[in-house]
Amino acid sequence: MPTRRSHVPLSLVVGKARQGTSDVDLARGLIAGEVWAIAETWHRFAPMVLMMADRALGSRSEAEDLGQEVFYRVFRKAKTLRDPNSLRSFIYSFASRELKSELRRKRVRAWLSFHQPEDLVDLSCETLDVESRDLLQKFHAQLDRLTPRDRLVFTLRHMESMTVEEIAATMDISVSTVKRSMGHAAIRLSRWIEADPGLVELLDARRGKR
Amino acid sequence: MTPTSGEPQDSQALAALTRLERDRVERPTTAELDRGLDALLARIAAGRARRRGFVRWSLVGATAGLCILVVLQVVSVARRHLPAPAPPALAYQIEGGRVLEGGYLRESGHDGIKLFFNEGTKFVLMPGTRGRLRAVDKEGARLAIEHGTASFEVTQSSDRRWLVEVGPFLVEVKGTVFTVSWDASSERFELRLRHGRVVVSGPVSGADITLRAGQRLVVNLAKAETLITEDKPEKAVDEIVGAPASPVAPPPAVRPSVATDKPAGRNPAATPAPSTVASTQGERRWADELASGHWDRILEDVERAGIKATLDKASSEDLFALADAARYRRRTDLARAALLAERSRFPGSPRSLDAVFLLGRVEESGEHGMDRAIEWYDAYLARAPSGAYAAEALGRKMILTNDLEGPARARPIAEDYLRRFPKGSYGKWARALPRVP
Repeated sequence: MPTRRSHVPLSLVVGKARQGTSDVDLARGLIAGEVWAIAETWHRFAPMVLMMADRALGSRSEAEDLGQEVFYRVFRKAKTLRDPNSLRSFIYSFASRELKSELRRKRVRAWLSFHQPEDLVDLSCETLDVESRDLLQKFHAQLDRLTPRDRLVFTLRHMESMTVEEIAATMDISVSTVKRSMGHAAIRLSRWIEADPGLVELLDARRGKR
Repeated sequence: MTPTSGEPQDSQALAALTRLERDRVERPTTAELDRGLDALLARIAAGRARRRGFVRWSLVGATAGLCILVVLQVVSVARRHLPAPAPPALAYQIEGGRVLEGGYLRESGHDGIKLFFNEGTKFVLMPGTRGRLRAVDKEGARLAIEHGTASFEVTQSSDRRWLVEVGPFLVEVKGTVFTVSWDASSERFELRLRHGRVVVSGPVSGADITLRAGQRLVVNLAKAETLITEDKPEKAVDEIVGAPASPVAPPPAVRPSVATDKPAGRNPAATPAPSTVASTQGERRWADELASGHWDRILEDVERAGIKATLDKASSEDLFALADAARYRRRTDLARAALLAERSRFPGSPRSLDAVFLLGRVEESGEHGMDRAIEWYDAYLARAPSGAYAAEALGRKMILTNDLEGPARARPIAEDYLRRFPKGSYGKWARALPRVP
């Protein structure tokens, strides 16, 4: 007897019971290659990774691509996770590595394509007004001038509110390097922003509007 | 976020922009997350399928590679045990002259003599050149130039051996295009190599000289001058070595090397010491000097810097160049010391292995050195039984053993030689050794 196949795409739904699973059990499930663990890991940690990537790259679509890459690698390398307690930092470290690589690639692409860095920023956010969008475009243009490491440290510290120690652990660098990078980034960005009359004007105009 | 101690305070503008950027980003919706998860699961499934395919194709590739290796091994073993097909006999056609008794080539017109061999090789004797065709057999040909100029286009083949006697010089041809001339009255030998490689042996240097494409060797026996140059500065070379057909005398571009044991005309200011040279001009300097025939310059540099210092500090390439220069100038002790330094300081390099063979050649040229030479050849053959110099090492060992201990001891070596290198250049000697009952 012929069977009828549905053409509706299937999507995996994690049962409610799984949502209460601890990170340790989740890590064990991932290491064992359980499908439910993949779905639960995604739902639990993807928002964090996607938001961090969006802030670091200034583009939602690029952040989504990066999120795919990060979790694909996490699932492929899950067996190398030795301590199930450190699932969160395991994922963060993959994300920070990927972000750093992507920032490097962006820098090379910007250089090769002879575009102004701000042309490559994609701030398609409906909640922003035009002035804010212009401001953020100019801000990202300044962020693009930082080295990938300084930029990532700045993002993790100022936008993700991570502690210096957390940043050091995530990026696998020393605390003193994190502090140095933070200092570089803050001083340079402040100097560049003050030297950009357009940016200061926009900022003043926005303040005045409010 | 509150700044930690020691953290620089951000400017107001920077703080405002950072806050704006932080607030811009919103948490992804459930629908977005579900879409992302579907894409991720599809990618993971595709990756697994790709990995399975990769493993399958890797296995197929490895099996195919193994089969090819087995077939190659079988073919190699079969070829080793089957007798190699004998090359077809050489035939030639002569134009512009004929061959008289004793192989003497007599010119019938005024356009020179041309010899065309059936496998593509061509000899051209320029008008007025005297020569003899000494032998033509299936293994190759041997031609003698007694006076004049001849050019050669030899088809490359491992089965044939082409030898050209030019006055007192012997040119072994390795598949090449070149012109050679000999003036018996001025005792001037010249060889211009356009393609390929030749080995010249003769009464000037203590060892064979290998020329590469584009080089020119000029030897003036009367003045004991030898010069190897790249083929461009022809006029300068003609002037230095005293070519008869050089009407204008431009200033010499290179200095001739004089065949004396002691370095002549030293000028400490003119040539820097090796250490300076190494830092300013790179390691190729002595190799270039060697290729240009400036053997004495190398020896002068060494004398100036001190032999011990040079042997301790010179690069592998320089040591080898020094050994060659010393061999060509019959400075046996210096050549030996350079080769021994090469071995001790660069034990893992290919040149270290070559040095073992060359030490044998050096010992041969010294008095009572034949025993030691045989030991070096044995050492080379033990380390590189199929090395670049293996045939020559075994051939030399056979010759020396024959000289030292007679044919009874040399015969087994000869048989070994013929078995391993049936077409080797010492084949005739090996076959000529009388059999011992």
